[in-house]
This record gives sequence, structure tokens and C-alpha cells, in this order.
Amino acid sequence: MNKSLSRRKFLSGTSMSVAGLMLESNLRNVGLKKQTGNMDQEESSSRDVMKEVMKYRKIDAHAHLYFSPDTIEEQLGFADRLGIEKLSISRPFTGDVGTHQDVIECNNLIINAIKKHPDRFIGFFTLIPTFAKESLEELKRCVDAGMSGYKGYLQVKVNDPSYYPIIEKLIDLKMICFMHTYSGLGRGGYRTKYGNLYPNETIPEDMIDIAKRYPEMTFQWAHIGAGGDWEYQCKALKDYPNIYIDTSGSNNEAEMVNYAIKYIGEDRIFYGSDTSYYQGVSKILDADLTDAQRRKIFFENYNNVLRKGGYNVD
Amino acid sequence: MLIDINAYVGHWPFKQLKHNTCATMLENMDRFGVELSVISNLNGIFYKDTQAANEELYKEIKSNRKFSSRFIPFAVINPIYSGWQNDLEACSKRLGMKGVCLYPLYHDYEITDPACVELVKRARDRGMIVSFAHRIVDSRQRSWMDISKEMSLKDIMPIIREVPDAKYFVVNAANSITVSEEDTEILKKTDMLFDTSGRILSNLGEMLKRYGQDKFAFGTHSPILDYLCGLLRIESLYEREADAKTKQLLRSGNAKRILGI
Repeated sequence: MNKSLSRRKFLSGTSMSVAGLMLESNLRNVGLKKQTGNMDQEESSSRDVMKEVMKYRKIDAHAHLYFSPDTIEEQLGFADRLGIEKLSISRPFTGDVGTHQDVIECNNLIINAIKKHPDRFIGFFTLIPTFAKESLEELKRCVDAGMSGYKGYLQVKVNDPSYYPIIEKLIDLKMICFMHTYSGLGRGGYRTKYGNLYPNETIPEDMIDIAKRYPEMTFQWAHIGAGGDWEYQCKALKDYPNIYIDTSGSNNEAEMVNYAIKYIGEDRIFYGSDTSYYQGVSKILDADLTDAQRRKIFFENYNNVLRKGGYNVD
Repeated sequence: MLIDINAYVGHWPFKQLKHNTCATMLENMDRFGVELSVISNLNGIFYKDTQAANEELYKEIKSNRKFSSRFIPFAVINPIYSGWQNDLEACSKRLGMKGVCLYPLYHDYEITDPACVELVKRARDRGMIVSFAHRIVDSRQRSWMDISKEMSLKDIMPIIREVPDAKYFVVNAANSITVSEEDTEILKKTDMLFDTSGRILSNLGEMLKRYGQDKFAFGTHSPILDYLCGLLRIESLYEREADAKTKQLLRSGNAKRILGI
């Protein structure tokens, strides 16, 4: 089994040349200098990072709950750790084919959570619009129960005519139409040339189509960091002022937020996690943003849209 | 003090990178208080003769006195390409490289290929660390010319089992790091580190319990991923999950131990 090599053994085993020794020598000096540094200095840098994290009010525009016993505590645990004040939660039915009963169970999970933690959760309901009559009834039930917006998934594209009556109702209620979306390699090739893995998943061109039909509707393009081609998405959605994007998702590629700023602009970007909490916060803090831009993205942009319908945070 | 055990210079052919030179990476390091970074050259993934990339990195580090005190170079070697034995020796002896990054998926070989096993043994004998990345980019948004596969810890275990006394980095752990109980015990005894940049480490506190506080170290996977995420995973740990001493190990102590600095 391995034993840690001492530095002396390491060097003798490496037979370093002059150049190598120069590198090593410089490294040793750095290491020794810092090793003698005091703990206060070491800890101060860490405190600064968390201070920066906690400095900004945050609403997570893309959060979820799950059908697991500890789901509320688990999500709030991450939120507390990273100073996330409120979370817009939804539980969409994630299969490509579902029943209306599936939808009701998903929504009940969210209704119960917002009743339990009205100070932390903003509820978003889900529907499968092809259940036309039932969907409008469910929409009313969820609004009456205190829900604040809509989250669609991949069973029906957002520009399918079955969405029209739902969107018209959302316009009346001044709610966000927040859609699971994707564009990437899909099954066949770049630019979803041969379709996404799920044929009814909303792609940028679908959202652009419906955004033009309903310019008074606010659409939220979900998770540019969820693995899709975020460069393609940002370029495609650039010219549509009623389409906002959220930055959530497990992919925290460098430059993602800078790129979004360049194409979408600082007023149409929402911070979100999609339960990738660290990536959600780090990609905003890492980006080349001013303090005012960070405040907009973490909190103000989303809150301003919620305010239109009175669903905002004070 | 922070030591980043997972960073790169060089280009990604499918996307423009920023902070991908020693000079620009140093800006990020200074911005976030990182004293030292382990770097390798991304170009080595794409050059057939990876030694050209190692020479590029060496030249870049030599170009400014500041660089040699802030960067710890790792080589990129393809063990199924001719001359790798000489390249490894040159990287170790002449270029002062302290480790070697292997890319079985990009360079198209099995991790237990005899040449790979031989390389890992030679790296071990030279005290060099062997580094495997689960992935360089998220395959869901890759270019149509990029590879579609990613690795998980299970894919790396065969070489660790084969050469358990080598030193390893497993970086950008984006996929599962759950292995059998038997393999978990092997890992605990192996001198290895996971860096904190990978998305699978959403609950670092639990991982510390599973593998031990000596098995993780700060890493960024920069300039591919944002610079801060790996640090947030450490700094946001509660005292009950990681006390001050443990955090110090994660920030730099474990990296110093395995790098021998």
C-alpha cells in the first residue's frame, strides 16, 4: 500500500533538472511563506467569500420539491446555507406521458409546502394542457390555493394550440409562464436538427413563436445551465423582450452569465438553481458584473415581474 | 491559503475560453486569493503528439518569473502513442512536471490497457500524480465534433486497483463517485484526492464522512467552469461538517501533502 512520500524522497525520486529544480524551489518558497502565515489570514479569505454570498438578497426562480419525505428540509437547508430568501418551487410531472391525476398529485405537493412555509416558498403549478377542460379547472384550484405562477414541462410544446387558453388565463392573472426547455444535441445533431430526446420539449424557436403571438405574456426560459446549448439559446432569444431566461442548472461553465448579459441583457435574466444550489450562486458571483447587476439578477428582475400580479416579495 | 488542484491553460476547439493563459489565470487567482494552481495544457487533449503541448506549457511558465512560483505544471501523455516513455521522462526531469493527466476517452484507449498501466507505474516510481477528469465539458452541450462519453469513478477504479500505490487526482467529478464497499476501502487507503469542482459534490459534508477529510481538495476546473463553485462547496460547510482544521486541509493542506510541497 502507498505511503505518503516525504518531500526529500519525492525530490530524490524525481531526479529533477535545473529547470525543474527552479520550479520546485519557487514552489517551496511560496509554500513555506504561506505555511507560516497565521490562521486569521487564512480564515479571512473564506469569510470574505461567504460574506459576498450573503450580501445579496436572492429569490431562486427555479427550484423544485420532490416526493421524498425530507424534501422541504433538504431544499431549505441548501437555501439557508447560501442565503436564499425565497424559492419558487414546482413539481412538474417529468414523464413524457402523464395523466391528469399525476398533475393533481404534483400540485398538491406544492400547495402543502407553500401552506407550511409561506415565508420561504412561492408556488408554481403544473398542467398537461392536452387535458383541456381539466387543466383550466386545475389552474383555478391552484390559484385559489395561493399559487403564483405556471411551470410547464415536456409533454406539450409551449406553442401548441392547447396552450392558448391557459396562456390567456395566465395573462389575466399576470403570472409567469415558466417552461422547461431544451436545445442541444438531442438525439441526432446540433441545433436539435433531428429533434430533442423528447419530441414535445420546447426549443427556442417554439418559445419565440408563442412570445410573438402573446407579446403581453411573460415567458421564462428555464435553465440555460441544464446542459443545453446555452450559447445557441441566448443568441436565439436575444430579440424577444417578453422572454426572460433563468441561469439555473448543474452546468456552471465559465462565461455563461457574461454571455447571457451580452445577448439577453441585464434586465431579462433571473437567478435560479434547479436544485444545483452551489452552481446557481457561483456562476453569478464569478461573472463580470457590477454590484447593481448582481442585485438585479439575484432578486430585482424576478421580483419586478412577480410584482405585476402582486406575487412579489416585499 | 488556497491551492487549486485542477486548472488548465490552452484552447478548447469548440468554444472561446477566457482566463486560459498563465497571465489571465493569475488574475483570477489573485481575485479569489488562490496562491498556487496545478495546470496542464488543454491542447494536449487534441494534439496527436501531446509532448508539443507539454513544451508549450513549460515555455509559458518560463516566460515570466512570477509564473514559476504560482503554477504547478502537469503533463498530458497518451500512452498508446509512440515515444511516450521518453516524453514522460522529459516531463518529469527536464520540464519539472509533478503529475500527468490522462484522457482515455479522448485518446481512445482502455484504462487497463497495458501501456496505461505501465505509464501509471512509471509515474508512481517518479512520484508523479496521475490525474483523471470525469469530463472536460458537459456532454449535453458538446460540439457535434466532440466525444459523447463521460467517465465516473467506477471507470477509473480498475487502474487504481491495478496500481494502488500510485498517487491520483480525480477531477471534475460530474458523475457518480459511489463504488462498491470493497472499492471504497481501496480508495480510503489510496493517496488520492477528489477536487471540489464537480457537480456530484452537492453534499460535500456527507462525502467527507464517506471517504475521509484527507480525500478532497479545492479545485476549479477553470477556465472551463466558473472559478468559485469549488470554493463555495468548502466555505459553506457548517462547523459540524468541517471544523477549521478540516477546512484548512480542503483549502490547501491535502494538496500540499500529496504534492509534497
